[in-house]
Amino acid sequence: MIWRSLQRRIVVVFVGLLVLVMALIVTLVISSNKRIVASEVTRELAVGTHVFKRLIEQNQRQLETAATVLSGDFAFREAIATQDQATVRSVIRNHGLRIGAQVMIVISPDGQLIADTQQDAAAPRSFQFPDLLASAQLAGKSSGFRQMKDDYLYQIVLVPILAPKLIAWVAMGFQVDDQWTLSLAGMTGLTVSIIRHRGPQATLLASSLVNPGRYALAQSLPGLSRDSAQELAIGEEHYQTVQIPLGQEISVVLQRSLEQAQAPFRSLQRILLIIVLAGIVLFMLGSVMLARRIVKPVNDLSAAAQRIEAGDYAQPVPKLPLDEIGQLALSFDHMRERIASREAKILRLAYEDTLTGLPNRTRFLEEFGQLPAGSSGAMVVLDIDRFALINNALGHPVGDRLLIETGARLSHITAAPNLVARLWGDEFAFWLQGADKDAANVFAQLVLTTLRDPITLDGQRLDVGGSLGIALHPHDGGDATTLLRRAELAMAVAKRRRNSFAFAADIGAEPAHENLSLIGEMREAMARQEFVLHYQPKMDLASLEITGAEALMRWQHPSRGMIPPMLFIPFAEQTGFIREITPWVLERVIEQAARWRHEGLSLVASANLSALDLLNPALVGHIRNLLKQHGLPAGHLCLEITESALMDEPELALTHLVELSSLGVKLSIDDYGSGQASLAYLKTLPVHELKIDQSFVTSVADSSKNAAIVRSTIMLSHALGLTVTAEGAESPADLSWLKCNGCDVAQGYAIARPMPADELPAWVGAFRAQSAADRAAFQFGADTR
Amino acid sequence: MTTTFAAWLAALLFFCANAGAGSIEATVSTPAGKPVEDAGVVIEPVSGAVPKRHKTVTIEQRGREFIPYVTIVQTGTMVDFPNRDLVKHHVYSFSPAKLLEIKLYAGKPVQPVLFDKPGEVALGCNIHDWMEAYVLVVDSPYFARTGSDGKALIRNVPAGHYRLRVWHPRQRTAAALRDIEVGAVQTRLDLAVDVAPRILKPQPPDDSDKY
Repeated sequence: MIWRSLQRRIVVVFVGLLVLVMALIVTLVISSNKRIVASEVTRELAVGTHVFKRLIEQNQRQLETAATVLSGDFAFREAIATQDQATVRSVIRNHGLRIGAQVMIVISPDGQLIADTQQDAAAPRSFQFPDLLASAQLAGKSSGFRQMKDDYLYQIVLVPILAPKLIAWVAMGFQVDDQWTLSLAGMTGLTVSIIRHRGPQATLLASSLVNPGRYALAQSLPGLSRDSAQELAIGEEHYQTVQIPLGQEISVVLQRSLEQAQAPFRSLQRILLIIVLAGIVLFMLGSVMLARRIVKPVNDLSAAAQRIEAGDYAQPVPKLPLDEIGQLALSFDHMRERIASREAKILRLAYEDTLTGLPNRTRFLEEFGQLPAGSSGAMVVLDIDRFALINNALGHPVGDRLLIETGARLSHITAAPNLVARLWGDEFAFWLQGADKDAANVFAQLVLTTLRDPITLDGQRLDVGGSLGIALHPHDGGDATTLLRRAELAMAVAKRRRNSFAFAADIGAEPAHENLSLIGEMREAMARQEFVLHYQPKMDLASLEITGAEALMRWQHPSRGMIPPMLFIPFAEQTGFIREITPWVLERVIEQAARWRHEGLSLVASANLSALDLLNPALVGHIRNLLKQHGLPAGHLCLEITESALMDEPELALTHLVELSSLGVKLSIDDYGSGQASLAYLKTLPVHELKIDQSFVTSVADSSKNAAIVRSTIMLSHALGLTVTAEGAESPADLSWLKCNGCDVAQGYAIARPMPADELPAWVGAFRAQSAADRAAFQFGADTR
Repeated sequence: MTTTFAAWLAALLFFCANAGAGSIEATVSTPAGKPVEDAGVVIEPVSGAVPKRHKTVTIEQRGREFIPYVTIVQTGTMVDFPNRDLVKHHVYSFSPAKLLEIKLYAGKPVQPVLFDKPGEVALGCNIHDWMEAYVLVVDSPYFARTGSDGKALIRNVPAGHYRLRVWHPRQRTAAALRDIEVGAVQTRLDLAVDVAPRILKPQPPDDSDKY
């Protein structure tokens, strides 16, 4: 746990090392002090012992000399020679005082006591230390430490009295007491004690020690061995001890207190310990401060890194002193700036359309998602009309500049809180915050007005128009995707109808969910043969004959009933499934046409081709094979192609159309008017027929506007040599308007609804009969043909 | 030398007066057989009076030594202590046979000292501890002192019954007395005495020569 923190780690390592080193030093100092003390004590003891011995020798010699001088005193000798007890005793007392001896004994040459200061009436007896006498007889004098009858210890010096021949010995006793030991202790620097050994018992006779040490020494004497050097504990203190024999039973104990010897070292060690402890404390404080200084910038950096991680690039990394960490912080700050700028760039790329500078689809959807819940408004989708044409004719750079100019104009008219974005290609989207249907209407008009202003690029004036689809929130959908889709659908409808704009609510409910599931089911439907072809008759308005029939696909869904092609063909086109459907359709249609022809019913059968089919390179060969297989002349097959199908890859489409045309197959432009194809363009195609979109045809008799369009289209088509077919003729009025205005062929409910193939021959028969009857009744002339 | 000569002269005179008398030649040695110098050999007649031969004997102090070291005198002899040194001497004796003290003097003392009791007298000088001399006082005129060869010759000893005594100042034990017969001829005696070696006492260097 502790190792998690760098600061603590630094402190622990630093202080730990210091403590280790200090502990080593202190241990070394203490142990070497101990050794020094021990050797010092040993040395002091050795020196002290030597000094002591020398002192004793010297002392003895001095005493001997003094005794010798005293014994040479004439009067003393004379007095001794008198042999008078009283006189002798008196003189030895007197001379004892002179020399400072406490005991004086005069002994005859043969060892008998003559006089003794310790005893008044010296009974004739021998000197109590014959050994001293013996050695004095050998050496002329002798000395030694002896305990006398009074239990005191004396240093006894025995010298002869010569007159000039030996007439007596005089023994002088100098008491060895505490005073004596003290003076020697003072000179040797050791503790001096005199001990008497008698058997196993040791008695302390004198000592320089004072109580309680003296008492303690007396107590510890039994532990004293006769070894030369040893350590002896006296009470609390320890003494290095040496014992020197001093005479019979008497020995002197010299001691050096270890504690006293250690005392200076002890105080040195105490000071050292205080210094070490203070040093450790100071070092600890210092390393804590240092660690803090090291770790604080790291922590600051860490905090800055966390801020950056959280996406906060605004706050700069704190400025630090320019050491290694400061350098790191500097680099870190640079990194923060780079990341911030790169992220801004990425965001811009992710959210901005690089061409126009407008928000892109993602940004649009995201901002929509951030709108407060329950807010209402309008989703508007704008698609520029004829953009593909412009792009194809004038090139992509011009198309791009057109988009840029358009984007600029659109952003000019869109103010917050409204949003504008380029969804893709030539499609733009708007979100009008809080707008209702009226406000959306006004805005749509504004957009159209804005676009109406011609745009001049490279000296070319371009008239740009657009179609808008509007979906209202929350009425038409709760989420952006739904709203966009519905607005797009509405836009598509508006474009098809050339209505400029349409509301999603006005084009009916969206088949959204059904579509999705239908796509999945189409393949199964194909296998189960749920697809059927119905045929809608086409009537030649000049002859009033049924000359053809358009094959229309129906899906006989087992649970949903009949599904119109508008609900699944677009999805089949989108998914590519149309590639499987079309060959099937073509085979059925050609087979059916051949059968009808065989039955004597001469009809031109029409089939629809999608853009994908038209680009299929195998298409022409396939059709050729089918025609040959069923023995159908190519003129009995008509292929209807929508304008938009030609726009994706115009050159390949044109190649295939030329091939089909050379086969002899009739070609028709379907849904003319809903796309952007111009007649001038169509003129270049090898087509024979133009089918006017039903949105223009329906109610053509009642709408002067539609009527004008249809009429001019018919006139232009005829001028180009094309047959004109009108789809969606729903009433007899429409039919008669079309006939009167020179339209060649009509198709619609006014003639017949699409019907199964096997019903058609009977219907045609019935129609002919009816027609013949009508002709008779209304006097339709054959000249109209 | 002078003393020896005097003794010799005295013996000669004695010999001349008593013709027909015997002599004793004694050889004193240690039990180990070493000749002993300065030993006194004394014979005393067992009975009868002895002739008194009173004359002054000299023990002089020369070179801060007593000369001779050993002197044997008959009781009643006067001993003179002439000081031949430039320094003074203080001659004393605490021996029971003769207590004497001649305080610091130079030259010849006022009068000789009478040794009137038999016995051994140790002489010292109070200011020169190493000086020592011994006087054996005997009640007989027949005595001699051994030379360095350990021989002592007593002449003109009338024939008779005598008690023989050997003495030395450093003798360890007093030798037992013994009776001898002295005839007309020379008697030879081999005597033994155990003697401690003379310990010369420390003596400061003589500074008198520096005058």
